Amino acid sequence: MARRRLLAWIGLALAVALSQNAPARADIGVETPWHPAAAAYRSMMFLGDLKPVVWDQIGTAYESPHPAAAVSRPAKIYFESLKGSAADAIVKAIAAKNRQALYEAATRATSQLTRQALAEAADSLTMPGKAHQKVMEAQTLYRSFGEFIDQTDPEAGKRLGRAWLELTSSVGSQGVLGTGAVAPELEVFAAARKVIEDYLAANYEPERFTARERLTPLPESVAAAQAEVKVRPWLPPGSNLNNQDPLPKLVLNFEEREIKETDLPLVAYGDMLFDSPLIFGEPARSLGLACSSCHNRSDVNQTFFIPGISHQKGAIDTRGSFFNPLFNDHRRGSLDIPSLRGLRFTAPYGRDGRFGSLRDFTRNVIVSEFAGNEPTPFMLDALVAYMIEFDFLPNDKLDKRGELTEKASASAVRGAKLFRKPFPQMDGKACATCHIPSANFLDRKAHDIGSARPSYEGGRDGAFDTPTLLGAKFTAPYFHDGSMPTLASVVDWFNDRYKLKLRKTELADLTAYLETIGDANEPYQKFEGKKTKFRLDWEELTTFASTFETLLPKRDAKHADLMLETVATDLAADASGMANTAAKPKVYEVAGLLSDVRKAIVADDWAAAEKSWARFKEFQAKYDEEMY
Amino acid sequence: MTRLTIDRRALVLAGLAIAAAPLAPALAQKRKELVLAFIPQENPEKLQGDIKVISAWLAKEIGVPVRGFVGSDHAAAVEALRNNDADISFMGALPYVIANAQTGAVAVLAEVYRGSPAYTGRIFVRRDSAIAQLADLRGKAIAFADPISESGYLYPLDIFVESGLLQRGEDPKRFFGKVYFAGGYQQAMQAMQAGLVDAAGVSQYADLLLTPDQQPQVKWIAESKPIPSHVVIARKDLDPALKAKFVAAMLKLNEPQNVALLKHVYSPDGYVAADPKSFDGVRELAKAYGLMN
Repeated sequence: MARRRLLAWIGLALAVALSQNAPARADIGVETPWHPAAAAYRSMMFLGDLKPVVWDQIGTAYESPHPAAAVSRPAKIYFESLKGSAADAIVKAIAAKNRQALYEAATRATSQLTRQALAEAADSLTMPGKAHQKVMEAQTLYRSFGEFIDQTDPEAGKRLGRAWLELTSSVGSQGVLGTGAVAPELEVFAAARKVIEDYLAANYEPERFTARERLTPLPESVAAAQAEVKVRPWLPPGSNLNNQDPLPKLVLNFEEREIKETDLPLVAYGDMLFDSPLIFGEPARSLGLACSSCHNRSDVNQTFFIPGISHQKGAIDTRGSFFNPLFNDHRRGSLDIPSLRGLRFTAPYGRDGRFGSLRDFTRNVIVSEFAGNEPTPFMLDALVAYMIEFDFLPNDKLDKRGELTEKASASAVRGAKLFRKPFPQMDGKACATCHIPSANFLDRKAHDIGSARPSYEGGRDGAFDTPTLLGAKFTAPYFHDGSMPTLASVVDWFNDRYKLKLRKTELADLTAYLETIGDANEPYQKFEGKKTKFRLDWEELTTFASTFETLLPKRDAKHADLMLETVATDLAADASGMANTAAKPKVYEVAGLLSDVRKAIVADDWAAAEKSWARFKEFQAKYDEEMY
Repeated sequence: MTRLTIDRRALVLAGLAIAAAPLAPALAQKRKELVLAFIPQENPEKLQGDIKVISAWLAKEIGVPVRGFVGSDHAAAVEALRNNDADISFMGALPYVIANAQTGAVAVLAEVYRGSPAYTGRIFVRRDSAIAQLADLRGKAIAFADPISESGYLYPLDIFVESGLLQRGEDPKRFFGKVYFAGGYQQAMQAMQAGLVDAAGVSQYADLLLTPDQQPQVKWIAESKPIPSHVVIARKDLDPALKAKFVAAMLKLNEPQNVALLKHVYSPDGYVAADPKSFDGVRELAKAYGLMN
């Protein structure tokens, strides 16, 4: 079955708080480009809250063009354009590694930039095109603060939101060749500008800031009141939790045997949990992070990225301060995300093989890494039941014993011999000694091959679990830290590290062999016509819902509630990607019926739950043809 | 999301032109090249890359050098066509009919999106609001995108005329309590979703600009007549042979081996030859609202 996940649509200009409890998710999510200064500001505040603080990356966010910005211009250029010492104060705070000083300097400067753009708009009102442009620029800077004002000072958020509307409406229009030109409304503009500027000056440029434990830019009035406020977890600009494109093909053992998932309720429930952010705690839960966010379709999501937490795309530090401060190991340990294909053959688990049991590993991910509540035995059983269905991608260049077939190239065949050749420089071992062809190209052991430096003198912590080479053509980059971009670079690394003295043709042959055994007949999911991504989601989510047939007779409210919330939320969100947009309201209707089931269960009214469930099944069948 | 991105070029994030220095047009009269005037979009650097790709491909197809530049907005593009600083531009039907009337520029191609060279404007409201029909919006606040926009103003406004709630050309403030121009579809939709206004009058596809979690929170209650899709227009005096070559090349983008290039010209599904009659309705509305004589 499919999987996804999300993107926190990070701070659209006037976005107001979503439901506080509902995970934010999306299959389609393109982050609106940021103003360079706003991008840097939000990044610096996020990175400043990590423990340990990543000061080098804060410096980079300030000094270098931001990848999520609309233009490749360093933020410092904008801050340096301000009168006074605003930019110097930011630089000094970074040099001094002083979080409070950084918050104060960067916040003041960003607010000043916003007000400066408004002042320029006011000065340009005789040129409506330019004035409009400056108002829009001011709005993109205000995005630095907007969502936090909306969430923690909602009354002001609405007042300011209306003021922005007054500004964009009163600025006038130049029309086209003079046609349709609209004169600016000066008084309306001035009044709206005053509303925004007064609030910014009071809350983001106060004489004295309250000391901040967290650098989320709350209005000063809110921070000073020191009341408990809830702020939705947020990620810095440039984060990407979306699915990769093309979508990897998922190979499930039962499906290949033509067994229906609806006949395997434990597996189907595990499939649902694999996609559910609700098994995690905050902040992962509200950000919509699920197992499938990283291990999309049992494979690796090579585009996953969170600045400060991922050292590169397709990597994550699961033991940092962000997801579970209690589990913070205070190391910058971002690792390449591994594929889970063939998971039942790849024990032990964890990059260094620290968990022998998949069940223990899974619990560790939920509870320790992502701060979730203790999963029930049923949940762990279900997750394991689902994950052990992950099969390797079929590859007709390889037989079941791991030998090449006649479809392999001559170069790959030559490479196969090298792969099996013992080298004295490797203690008489061959590549195949650890990557055993008949054992899915792994040996279930951890070896120190020299790919990582010991973390302290005399340390012996550089050993990593032998990874399978099956499907490897599609899982770049390689090594525990993703430091090798291609299979060819891996071959080169071994040649250099162990002084194997392979000739160029031999290096090419060995690479060809790795690319052949790591190949697949059909690595990606195909979509065409009505077989859309949403169709895949629809089939998957209704399969998840089918587990209610098992939970209902047991009156299992806890697990039914978790499933129903996951499916109802996902269905409604996934409808945004429909090709058949006319049928979107029908998806909302069906999702609403699942919510009705849930409400009835919460009220312990199982008769009402059964009634809504029957209606859900009726409408699922009725609308099925339109679901694409 | 062609409908969305096209208008957003000029309206939504024009502010981000902040640091994207528009490339200067050259004097057309003296050049032996085809010059395309593009409208800014939300990601100016991506647009510069797109221009390079599509210009190179067109040059190869047409056999003359092709160059593109980004104007500051629709008005600047029309100005460039009028001054012979550009030969071709991309825009919505309303700026086109104004450009046609004032400069003689002609529509040569129409974009196809979701299988159609037309789309609609809609009135969106919050799903949990008490507003069920247009009349419920009397005295309420509405956000449109921009006063010079067919799907972001004129057509959605005209829905109220067709319903008998407004007269054509009448000040909409006589019906609504407040009328805003939010600057773009996305801003108008967000203002409505956030409860800052009661309704948004925008393109039928504007709900896709909300987050997937916000989209179920809104619904539309009325739809306009079909609006011709966005067009590719040529200046009045462009050499007919060169114009024909350009059109033929652009139509080749519909072929399977070339469709990937469409993402470099605002991502339509494809192009068809523009139908001059399809703009009659736009002209009629533009006249009714005082935008044309």
